[in-house]
Amino acid sequence: MNDSAFENFPHVLGEWLKGGGPDSDIVVSTRVRFARNIKGYPFTLKATEQQRAEVLALCEEAIRKIHLQRSVITLELDKMPEVKRDVLVERHLISRELAGGEGPRGVTFGRGEMLSIMINEEDHLRLQWIKSGFDADRAYQALCKVDRALEKVVPYAVSDNYGYLTACPTNVGTGMRISVMVHLPALTMKDHVDKVFKAAKRMNHAVRGLYGEGTRAFGDMYQISNQATLGRSEESILESVKAIVPRILETERQMRGQLYAEDRSFLEDRVLRSLALLRNARRLNVQEMMSHLSMLRLGVDLGLITDVPMQTVNEMFILGQPSHLQEREGRLMNATERDTTRADLVRSKLAAHSN
Amino acid sequence: MDCQCCNKKPARVRICDVDENAIQEQYNVCPDCFALVKRYMFDMARPLMATDDVIREVQGLLGPADKAIALPDAAGAITPLADSVPACPECGMTLSEFKARGRFGCPRDYEVFAEHLDPLFERIHDTQPARHQGRLPAREGESELVTRRRKAAELKARLDAAVAEENYELAARLRDEINQQEGTTREQA
Repeated sequence: MNDSAFENFPHVLGEWLKGGGPDSDIVVSTRVRFARNIKGYPFTLKATEQQRAEVLALCEEAIRKIHLQRSVITLELDKMPEVKRDVLVERHLISRELAGGEGPRGVTFGRGEMLSIMINEEDHLRLQWIKSGFDADRAYQALCKVDRALEKVVPYAVSDNYGYLTACPTNVGTGMRISVMVHLPALTMKDHVDKVFKAAKRMNHAVRGLYGEGTRAFGDMYQISNQATLGRSEESILESVKAIVPRILETERQMRGQLYAEDRSFLEDRVLRSLALLRNARRLNVQEMMSHLSMLRLGVDLGLITDVPMQTVNEMFILGQPSHLQEREGRLMNATERDTTRADLVRSKLAAHSN
Repeated sequence: MDCQCCNKKPARVRICDVDENAIQEQYNVCPDCFALVKRYMFDMARPLMATDDVIREVQGLLGPADKAIALPDAAGAITPLADSVPACPECGMTLSEFKARGRFGCPRDYEVFAEHLDPLFERIHDTQPARHQGRLPAREGESELVTRRRKAAELKARLDAAVAEENYELAARLRDEINQQEGTTREQA
């Protein structure tokens, strides 16, 4: 394993968390993902240890051959301790399934952490590109370049009828999933999230909470993604996401405006209490941190808070996650120790920006 | 009462569909079948399914011999497992294993289970016919079939747009073009 790849992880973040890009008042990031498999091998589920090792070697070789422009980091996950794998999950570089899987598997990602290639997840290859803000076109184009380079050096499993063949029937066809990460505090406060979920579902898109279980979404962070991958072209999937997401953003903005107009002191009170709590807490659990960061993010967007940059808010969301804290401290910690360390981290991040 | 899935063991679990605060449908199943039902209902990787579809899937899993109770046959319902579908010669996946896991074992499965896939794909992807319309790797050389299908889809999309805009002149021309293309496809077939 390449340990140097991890040195800076608990301290700095990938470019997609810079907080810029189109519609960044609500959209944190846009991710495009392709599922691909190598011809001549069973999918990971049915592959033997030997076959998985061969697929891993084949994919790593292919990735070397295509000369990705920026320097990349390649990690073999079966040789890494759990906490380091979880750091990668918290940074959205690998899936929870890949982290918790078994046998030979790996990930390659760019230094900017926009490109990530998972090997031996449910499919042999999962390519993803993340952009800051709502920028599906550019994420798609960037990922296409990688995909087209790879298809020249490694034979993909495809068919005329079903396109790219994938382990799960929900991915077959284009193998393409666009996921837009959005912050919807006003819709959540006004109890309108369910309506948005249902409307999106009618148009074949899924909305789910990004953190937490079931309907309870910590930090009011949600992910909108296309459900159908077969029977439409890549372009039409892009178009449908670009048609649906702005409608959700529009509703969120309306609700924010309404809250502000109807009861400004209520909104200010919630935002500034959250800031005060984050500035002073000595113990913070993850859920508490995320719900107050959500209010902080809303306050920054509405101009109620001017001395904290959006990037700092985004950073705390990730750096305050359990595995990042432990990696930062260089040791495993129990829940109480993590809560103390998390409060320290948040205080110091905010102190750097206080007037 | 006997289980509505296997029709053998006594039903111990009642599944209720609730809508607008009233119970719409009830299903009574045994704990063993409920374990299967749960896998369909709570597998986040799957699209959400209606309860009666889930019950039908589970009945399908248990095979035709055990299928005895009467749920009306709905369009798109998966036909019960035919014993005649062989396992995949490459990865050993059987149709019932595929249905239980919701995952294919290898690319060959798409051919082996071909006749069972279209209704499944049509439902999951809300599309008909369930055929690929995106790109394929350049090295495969896009086949004529895929090109033609893509062109047909484009024409159809333009037709829909023309109708929506009430541009009936253009719509009529597009319709003729589509009919002509379909004629060519049939001749070649």
